[in-house]
Amino acid sequence: MNRLRIKNNAITLFFSIFVFLIIGCTGKQKSSNSSSEGQPHSSTTIKYAKGFRIEHFDGYTRLTILNPWNNSAPYQTYNLYKDHAEKNNLPSNEINLQIPLKSIVVNTFAYFDFLDRLGQLDKITGTTDGFRVYNPKILRRIAKDSIADLGDPFKINLEKTLVLQPNAILTSAYAQRDQYSERLVQAGIPVIYNLEWMENSPLARAEWIKMIAVFFDKEVEADSIFDQVEKRYLEVKDKVDGVEKKYSVMAGDNFQGTWYVPGGRSFNACLFRDANLDYYYEDDDNSGSIGLDIETILTQFGKADYWFGCTADSYEELNQKDPKYRLLKSVKGKHVFNNKNRVTSSGGNDFFESAIANPDLILSDLIKAVYPELLPQYHFTYIKPLKTDNAL
Amino acid sequence: MKRNAIFFSILIILLLTAFFCDLFVGNAHISIRETWAALWGSSGDVIIDEIVRNYRMPKALTSILAGASLSVAGLLMQTLFRNPLAGPDVLGVSAGAGLGVAILTMLNGSFLYPVISSLGNMAQVIAAIAGAALTLLLILFVSSRINDSITILVLGMIFGYVASAAVIILQSFADPDSLKVFVTWTFGSTSNVTWSKMPIMAGIVIIGILSSFFLQKNLNSLLLGEHYASTVGLNIKSTRIVLITITALVTGTITAFTGPIAFVGVVIPHFARALFGTVNHRIVIPATLLSGSILMIICDIISQIPVSNRTLPINAVTALFGAPMIIWIVLKRKKL
Repeated sequence: MNRLRIKNNAITLFFSIFVFLIIGCTGKQKSSNSSSEGQPHSSTTIKYAKGFRIEHFDGYTRLTILNPWNNSAPYQTYNLYKDHAEKNNLPSNEINLQIPLKSIVVNTFAYFDFLDRLGQLDKITGTTDGFRVYNPKILRRIAKDSIADLGDPFKINLEKTLVLQPNAILTSAYAQRDQYSERLVQAGIPVIYNLEWMENSPLARAEWIKMIAVFFDKEVEADSIFDQVEKRYLEVKDKVDGVEKKYSVMAGDNFQGTWYVPGGRSFNACLFRDANLDYYYEDDDNSGSIGLDIETILTQFGKADYWFGCTADSYEELNQKDPKYRLLKSVKGKHVFNNKNRVTSSGGNDFFESAIANPDLILSDLIKAVYPELLPQYHFTYIKPLKTDNAL
Repeated sequence: MKRNAIFFSILIILLLTAFFCDLFVGNAHISIRETWAALWGSSGDVIIDEIVRNYRMPKALTSILAGASLSVAGLLMQTLFRNPLAGPDVLGVSAGAGLGVAILTMLNGSFLYPVISSLGNMAQVIAAIAGAALTLLLILFVSSRINDSITILVLGMIFGYVASAAVIILQSFADPDSLKVFVTWTFGSTSNVTWSKMPIMAGIVIIGILSSFFLQKNLNSLLLGEHYASTVGLNIKSTRIVLITITALVTGTITAFTGPIAFVGVVIPHFARALFGTVNHRIVIPATLLSGSILMIICDIISQIPVSNRTLPINAVTALFGAPMIIWIVLKRKKL
């Protein structure tokens, strides 16, 4: 009897929790107002990127950042006008901005190179984590105080940002709208969300130069810059086209016991395909990374010929971290590379900055490492072979 | 009696001073005159007005509310469980709130996304409140079955451990960016409560604090032990459920809006009892409330000091800077 009562109570409890969750989940629905007042007269051709759309209307340009987690509504829409008189004709529930922007805070290092190529570096008035920047031009501006350092990128200093009064702030978007970006929006600073990191090919990522270019009225320039990049990338890729595929590759490194390797639909897996390399997870359909333990790594990647993205500087360091590394074929054959060819003493690494804008160079790096005879004149840009010594 | 009046006056003056200091100090260089003008009218500069009125002001109020409510919640728990180490988080409510936020952050890119994004900027708060409320329901369920405070205390801590374990598992599966978003939440922050969120937080918290004032007699009886309290006519079970509900509501709400804030809730009640030399809740509740607000607001000021361009997480500042202050007072008085 007593047991029955407990059971009944437990059912009531779980029912109430369920009801609570339902109530909690059916909050206000955000209106997905697309406010289509007429058709665009033209739209920019986007060849690879899937994350944004640029349409031209009379008097303004509409940039739509699509939502990779939810197809039904865009992540954010921007209406960009040149003539101030246009402003009143635009829907007030979207972000309306006058272009070209005169100042911008950049919270994503990957965009320094895009802005540099578009000749807009002087528009940057603030960034975050200045000590971690690689770009020498940006570093000089930070030293001269013409670019303010606004602290932690995940917890940007709001007061300092408000004082700067940038026309907009460029920041990485995540599935979750983070509290700090929300806070900036509420304080009236337009946030430009970038999602190039969700793209799964190097050319698609590089194409995001077109997205940022719209804000500076540099669409034509961005198109021609991207066409050049694309041409160079495809030329490098062509070099390995007829070559027999005979090498396999391993990626990532051990972080606190978990080894993160790129999923088969990721940017890195695409690079491996384009460099004519075999990758264990090439048929996997994960676009992020996959966490594995060392045993899985040894069984799945023990015979991989090359290892890219190692975090160590030398084979001795690898051996000191874990002698098990020596079991890997890539380590035995001394075919291990890290991404630290261009770094600063305070932690800046160009691999995380300009590589997005230079997919041809990352691809050339891989091809140079595996098929050096195909690129005899080329020197590594971002990657570097581990230092050899007598430890192994 | 006169001594108490003096102490209370000093605390109130300290609180007001600290409150205004918090408004005057920040990373933007704004003079005291400009801040003052922005408070009462306009400084003539929209940016300064925005910073003072819509950033510093809600931040300072949040600090006061968080400090006051967490300390009072800690006091209620210490009296209920007659345990000097009890605090607002012993019921596992903060851990439950943490679990709610962890689930939200880590499962974000998944099938749950449309639901989460429809909640907009309240998603994190709703997730935390849902987590805290779930823990509260569990605790209330347990308290309605078990007639022993210590067992409830132990079970509350067990719930906390289970929630923390689930958080660790979620973290181990999370991608680095989600992990960073979650870790940033655990730093605590008084600046995320905007004016639009303030009424919800302040409403729940003020009701919680006020109702504790009506429980002074019950709390004083509990000090004599549950057995004795029941002989003087106190309904132990219902008192216990009321105290647990108040604590969980207040702690869950504050944690949801500011992230976890440690230390204040455990230490301040001891400080208040020591300062006034009494355990009578008629004195100790307001004393705890005032001391908690003062400590929290001082910590908020300290957390604004930029350290190599970053500001310090409030959850660390409370213990790091609060502890030396309290230790100094204890050493002067030779006891707590």
